[in-house]
Amino acid sequence: MTARTTHLDAGVRSALQAVSAAAKRGFDDPGLAELVQIRASQINHCAFCLDMHLAIARKHGVSERQLDLLSAWEEAEEVFDGRERAALALTEAVTVLTEGFVPDEVYEEAARHFDGARLAHLLALITAINSWNRLMVGRRIPPGSTEW
Amino acid sequence: MTTYTEDTTEYAPELPVRLRWAEHAPEVYKAMIRLDTAARKGLDPKLYELVKIRASQINRCALCIDMHAKDALAAGESVERIVQLNAWEESRHFYTEKELAALELTEAVTVLTDGFVPDEVYAKAEKHFQEAELAQLISAIAVINAWNRFGVTCRMTPGHYQPGQHG
Repeated sequence: MTARTTHLDAGVRSALQAVSAAAKRGFDDPGLAELVQIRASQINHCAFCLDMHLAIARKHGVSERQLDLLSAWEEAEEVFDGRERAALALTEAVTVLTEGFVPDEVYEEAARHFDGARLAHLLALITAINSWNRLMVGRRIPPGSTEW
Repeated sequence: MTTYTEDTTEYAPELPVRLRWAEHAPEVYKAMIRLDTAARKGLDPKLYELVKIRASQINRCALCIDMHAKDALAAGESVERIVQLNAWEESRHFYTEKELAALELTEAVTVLTDGFVPDEVYAKAEKHFQEAELAQLISAIAVINAWNRFGVTCRMTPGHYQPGQHG
């Protein structure tokens, strides 16, 4: 498949890269950051982002078992701890807004595991990957493409 | 005879904000402002306002609906076109073909969970927008989706926005 367009304003690209970078810095958990970004990209069916973040996750030492079971994390308590589960539940709620408001129990569980600053950066990370997903899916950028 | 001198209706209480995210993540906020400015470049502001309202409706972001409906009205948009936006497929005659193509693309890019952005939706947008402008439109849809996610998750309170408040 070829891209619909590879056009993207340089200012948009660099500003969104700055959002992602600041979010990752403030969240300060590279492995979990990748799990969050992969999960959002699964939900949004973004092949380009999946390809990219699976590779980065492996580089950060995220286990194959976690990557394999990520789309069924709710049924895999042995593989994801409470903190990871809270982050993934928030990722799903924030990614799928069309089915209703981010539930209180999901938000509160995340707030139990992450302080205000960490939580704000986690939310920024989820939001930024959702933006990348939209830019890549909308323009149909193929996985592995170097032009995006 | 009843005279309505003052509104004594008791409304439900206003819900508190969950998280003041911009205060906790000022660098993210700064980059988001930069992103917002970059994404709107070259887009017709009137069209962009409709796109923002429609995405915010789909994502149910109360703060963003409040803000962008007020901004649109202040910029001279008609009440009718704002009110009908939630049913634009049945009220096409309020909008131009270009606006309709943009609204259709807005829905497809906003709701990625139901499947890929359809070829016919993209092709229709391509008929009305040149390549660079279309890339800006996709960016702009991604950006309002981002604001929606901050607004909804943090439960930012609607109703207090004054048009033009954020420049």
